[in-house]
Amino acid sequence: MTVYLARRALQAVAVVLLVTLIVFGLVRLAPGGVTTAVLGSGSAHQQFLAQYLTWLGRVLSGNLGRSARLNESVGALLAASLPRTLVLTGVSTLIALLVAVPVGLLQAVRRSSTVDHVLRGLTYLCYGMPPFVLGSVLILYFAVDWHFFGAEGPQAAGIGGVLADPRDLTLPVLTLALVTIAIFARYMRSSALDSLDQEYVQAARARGGGERRVIVSHVLRNSLVPVVTLIGLSLPQIVGGALVVEILFNFQGMGWQIWQAAVNHDVPVTLGFTLVIGVAAAVGSLLADIGYAILDPRVRISRP
Amino acid sequence: MTAHQAAGDKAGPVRRLTGAAGVSLAAADPADPAGPAAPVRGSRGRHAGPAASPPGAAAQRAAMASRMRRGLAACRAYPLATTGGGIVVAMAAFCFLGPLVYHTDQLHVFLSQANLTPRSGHPLGTDGDGTDELGRLMTGGQVSLELAAAAGVLAAVLGSLWGAVAGYLGGAADAVMMRVVDAGIAIPAVVLLLLLTSIYQPSTAMLVLVIAGTSWLSTARLVRAEALTLRMREYVQAAVVMGGGSFRIILRHIAPNAIGTIVVNVTFQIANAILILATLSWLGMGVQFPHVDWGDMIASATQTISDGYWWEILAPGAAITLVVVAFAMLGDGLRDAFSEAGYDAVPASAAEADRPVPGPGAR
Amino acid sequence: MSGPPSGPVLEITGLHTEIRRNGAAVRAVDGVSLTVAAGECLGLVGESGCGKTMTARSVMRLLPAGGVITAGSVVLAGTELTALSERNMQTIRGNDVGMVFQDPSSSLDPTMQVGRQIAESVVVHRGASRAVATARAIEMLSLVKIADPERVARGYPHQLSGGMRQRAMIAAALACEPRLLIADEPTTALDVTTQRDILDLIGDLRAALGMAVILVTHDLGVIAGRTERVAVMYGGRIVEQAATSAVFARPRHPYTEALFEALPEMASSRLASRGLYSIPGRPPDLVTRSPGCSFAQRCRYVRDWCATHEPALDGDHPGHSYACFFPVGVMGQGGADGQGGADGQGGAGGRNTLISAWVSGRGRQAAGREATAVPADPAAEPLLRVSGLVKDYPVAGGVLGRRSGAVSAVADVSFELLAGQTFGLVGESGSGKTTLARLLVGLERPDAGAIVFDGADLAAMSARQRRQRRSGIQLMFQDSFASLDPRMRVRSILSEPLAIHKTVRRRGYRRQVLRILDEVGLPADAENQYARAFSGGQRQRLALARALIQRPALIVADEPVSALDVSVQAQILNLMRKLQRQYELSYLFISHDLSVIRYMADTIGVMYLGKLVETGPAQEICTAPGHPYTASLIAAVPAVVTGPEVTQPRPAGTLLAGTLLAGTGQPGMTALPGASGPPVAGPDPAHPPSGCRFRVRCAFARDVCAEQEPALRPHAVPGQLVACHFPLGPAAAGQVAGRTAPSIA
Repeated sequence: MTVYLARRALQAVAVVLLVTLIVFGLVRLAPGGVTTAVLGSGSAHQQFLAQYLTWLGRVLSGNLGRSARLNESVGALLAASLPRTLVLTGVSTLIALLVAVPVGLLQAVRRSSTVDHVLRGLTYLCYGMPPFVLGSVLILYFAVDWHFFGAEGPQAAGIGGVLADPRDLTLPVLTLALVTIAIFARYMRSSALDSLDQEYVQAARARGGGERRVIVSHVLRNSLVPVVTLIGLSLPQIVGGALVVEILFNFQGMGWQIWQAAVNHDVPVTLGFTLVIGVAAAVGSLLADIGYAILDPRVRISRP
Repeated sequence: MTAHQAAGDKAGPVRRLTGAAGVSLAAADPADPAGPAAPVRGSRGRHAGPAASPPGAAAQRAAMASRMRRGLAACRAYPLATTGGGIVVAMAAFCFLGPLVYHTDQLHVFLSQANLTPRSGHPLGTDGDGTDELGRLMTGGQVSLELAAAAGVLAAVLGSLWGAVAGYLGGAADAVMMRVVDAGIAIPAVVLLLLLTSIYQPSTAMLVLVIAGTSWLSTARLVRAEALTLRMREYVQAAVVMGGGSFRIILRHIAPNAIGTIVVNVTFQIANAILILATLSWLGMGVQFPHVDWGDMIASATQTISDGYWWEILAPGAAITLVVVAFAMLGDGLRDAFSEAGYDAVPASAAEADRPVPGPGAR
Repeated sequence: MSGPPSGPVLEITGLHTEIRRNGAAVRAVDGVSLTVAAGECLGLVGESGCGKTMTARSVMRLLPAGGVITAGSVVLAGTELTALSERNMQTIRGNDVGMVFQDPSSSLDPTMQVGRQIAESVVVHRGASRAVATARAIEMLSLVKIADPERVARGYPHQLSGGMRQRAMIAAALACEPRLLIADEPTTALDVTTQRDILDLIGDLRAALGMAVILVTHDLGVIAGRTERVAVMYGGRIVEQAATSAVFARPRHPYTEALFEALPEMASSRLASRGLYSIPGRPPDLVTRSPGCSFAQRCRYVRDWCATHEPALDGDHPGHSYACFFPVGVMGQGGADGQGGADGQGGAGGRNTLISAWVSGRGRQAAGREATAVPADPAAEPLLRVSGLVKDYPVAGGVLGRRSGAVSAVADVSFELLAGQTFGLVGESGSGKTTLARLLVGLERPDAGAIVFDGADLAAMSARQRRQRRSGIQLMFQDSFASLDPRMRVRSILSEPLAIHKTVRRRGYRRQVLRILDEVGLPADAENQYARAFSGGQRQRLALARALIQRPALIVADEPVSALDVSVQAQILNLMRKLQRQYELSYLFISHDLSVIRYMADTIGVMYLGKLVETGPAQEICTAPGHPYTASLIAAVPAVVTGPEVTQPRPAGTLLAGTLLAGTGQPGMTALPGASGPPVAGPDPAHPPSGCRFRVRCAFARDVCAEQEPALRPHAVPGQLVACHFPLGPAAAGQVAGRTAPSIA
């Protein structure tokens, strides 16, 4: 396992470096003095590689630059918005997992039944509905018409502050969770169908295990292994969804900040935030692979 | 149970599903008693003999009729694909043919007519500019569908090429090419698009390029995995033993068997492109005035959301959802159809070959 | 559950099981009645699709989706199983009936510790605590003779070899000491030597635990000598049921007889020139019911009566029942109608000869090869001369995936093949047979050595040169499903070689395709079909046709019949021999099945871990092997025992530990090597043993075997070469015939 993980870690480092290269390359290719805006006037005459290395060195030392619009460093903006986004994505992903795993499993066990068809229709619906439409509909009914919840996300700062305002947090979390459930449940269903077809499930039944026992201890376990990796792989999508949700609910997290910066052509901020998100996603994917290695003994214990 | 028997069992439902009897080679060939032969979809062979011998209009009509019967049978066999495809066609007809029968003024602002609830004359109400929602849904849909189809197809083509080359070359080139894909996937498409649009001025052509440029990555992963498996298939190896060159092997064996995967992927890419385009437009960075798409319609509606103009959100929202779901259903249905029709390995999801880790079908 | 101690453990009466899917019902089991007494072993035999597995699963009520028991009763020790609620049925499964599945690599949960899976039934049925369950798992593992059971119990399935996984499966099935064990093709996925060990283990445990066993198999050799009674199934019904010895000595149903005659072991010298008997036609369609005997259309003794009347399963005397109006050996059908099979082979006239050849057993000088077109002339220049062939596969390891070692797949292999002859290559999985085949056809490049074919060294050529040379070597794969492109019609598949080499003008393709289809016995209208329209045997005919259309001098056939049923296998083997005579073809025939190799080959090569350990004339090697490995392979082939030599029921024992553990030392039950080390699948090809590679499993190994690698040296018969320091003499060979040769450790 150590070898496997070490190799994956090396890959992750390569991916992170490539992310920085792509992000910087896109900015560098842009017309006008965009690069200068990021690096300062001294860099105008430098070659691409030199500029990239200068920038990379700065980034590695923790300096993401200063906003062109606000009198603040990118790092400070990040420190303010990152916890808020973490709460939103973390809570939503957790809820999505708690719902999608049983739902997908139920669909697989009751394959082709009415329950399966109805749930399948619902996951199609959540898959096809853009988050801003879903969120808007929720606002329209739960906030505007019935006043159950707030139409805007919590405005308080810090993780504690956000969590202390469940009335405003509910709708953003619900929106993001529903979208994520659609991804996970679809996948869990096909993963569980695969496991159900396996002969070891039949063998477990032949040992007299009740259906519940067979499903919990054999099917669920084996279907979860690929789902864990899916969480890592869908991190970018979840963050993309979070961006839309933050803007819709005026919830000032990282997505909202990027959008503000993009609208105002504040390149240092978009650049810095994009970089952080990309690196986080690459690391998340690595973490998911570690989880996968822990769950699957075939990876954890290699054959002697 | 032997492998043989398993295959026979698998073949069973197909035969009954199509309702077309498999060609009974048994009658002609008494020599081979091995298990029930897998049936032939559409039973082409049954017609080949008699239909070929008496040439004439009657035979042609019969062939035509049988082809239509087969088509109908296929539709019944794959309700998911048929429903999805039907909705896609219906929505396209609605957007492109609808304005021919339902005339509206989409250019002028009528403030007196603003935010009207659905009523006769305005079946879906009007928006903040007093424009008819139903008419706008049609013209907006034209933009959404055209751009999304272009971007989706472009992404699938780009991704297929990249993945096929990586899978075919293998080794270090493959490793480098796939790390680039990993890096691209790590950055959420919307974020990357925001970065790009914050630097460049969006135009229609650029939108297509940019959406395709962020979407091709998942296709590349998928097609690479497919190329890797197909390359190891025994029939490919048999062609190598026969002395077939790479060109022939790619053209005659790998491409025809990978086409199922690619076609399925195109439908998901289009669905994906519709979502991304709508998102960009909703963020105000999509198509620019005077063009309007479904995302723009929702964007203007969300600004006045606290006023409760539900029809301004529900109509375009439902349109987007319907089309995306239809494309996803079409893709899922086609995948079932392809795998039952004997296409080699249409994977359920984007699986990377070196670790058993699939991603979702699209997005 | 309690039941009477005597009387049948299982009594199935008039069982009907249907699989309903998409509006059609397949009558998978169509009126099966059978009984199994306590301590008895019943063999359930038949070809694929005959309903044997469905019968077994009906007992467990573990049917595939759409499966329903529509009629009949299954009584297990006084309890009617078909009437039980699902919840009550669960108390039967694993508790009163245990089941072992075919493929041990897929029937164990990869994410659960082996010990927990074994103890699962104890936890479910006895409510055992964790500690008790663990202890039980370890006890069971030692019962099935696994070394270091504590360690294995904590491990996961992927750490075990195939044979050990099957042992673990048996342990899991027996953890609650069931009255009945159903073993569904328990050894089909295993090597011959492992197969014998597993079958021995099941036999020993049956005797020790006094349980009844149903052994479901397609392999007549497996049930011979291991079952008291046998039931032959065909088309969802039992067509013959009797004591095993009676069925083997005197089969009464024409289907049973035909099954025997299709075995390559059965080819007597007289019949060899006519080929094996193969059953014409195909199994009955189980969806539509037709009147009359279900075997009538394929029976060589069929009369008008058979088409309209359904025979009942009864017999001329108790204990031997069969469903046939005109049973074999009663009426003299041979003279009456003289109807041979559709292939015109193995007519009834040869039946008596055949039975006597059968009874004379394995000692006979069988299958003379007078049919071979070209007589073996030692002076002739061989068509193929392989010398010093080496192929290593690099093993990637470490963080950066650098080459850290090599698997020695083919190590210094040399042999010759004369034109028009067949070289049979035999060995267990992982012995390098397939790699050798891939080297010969150019799919891999050798690391060293020469492949001189038709006067030119193929190993020295570039890929392009080989392509342009239009190599006269063609390949047949084992898996006929995978080797034909699913997107191509037969016409394109068969004409592809012509298109590649442009030997024929495009207009001539069709004529060639039709001609070759006729040669391999497929109808002309097959040309418009896709490969998936064909059955396994037909697909293998297509594969042969594709290889043949280029008129090669040599066809390398990699396990061409191992996925096929016996009767279909006979057809393909017959066809291959017919074509060999017709075109003076040479074959390099690879198989794990010694009896097939013996039937087909003039010369045999035995491979072990990449080495050719013995080669020589087929008959001599099979009767007097020189290498201990060859001897153990031959001993492991399930021999068909005839006459009264039925296994004696052994005194029943209890499952108390200690008494049974003593059995570890039994001959043939030897535990796997490395009793103290980690469980291994045998020697690791990445680290082959020093000196003789076989020595770690060899009963005769001495110090010199570890120090010095034995070279291939001439042995008893001219042409026989053996790579062993202590080759077996004729005396030892005699032992082999008596199945007392040293088993592989």
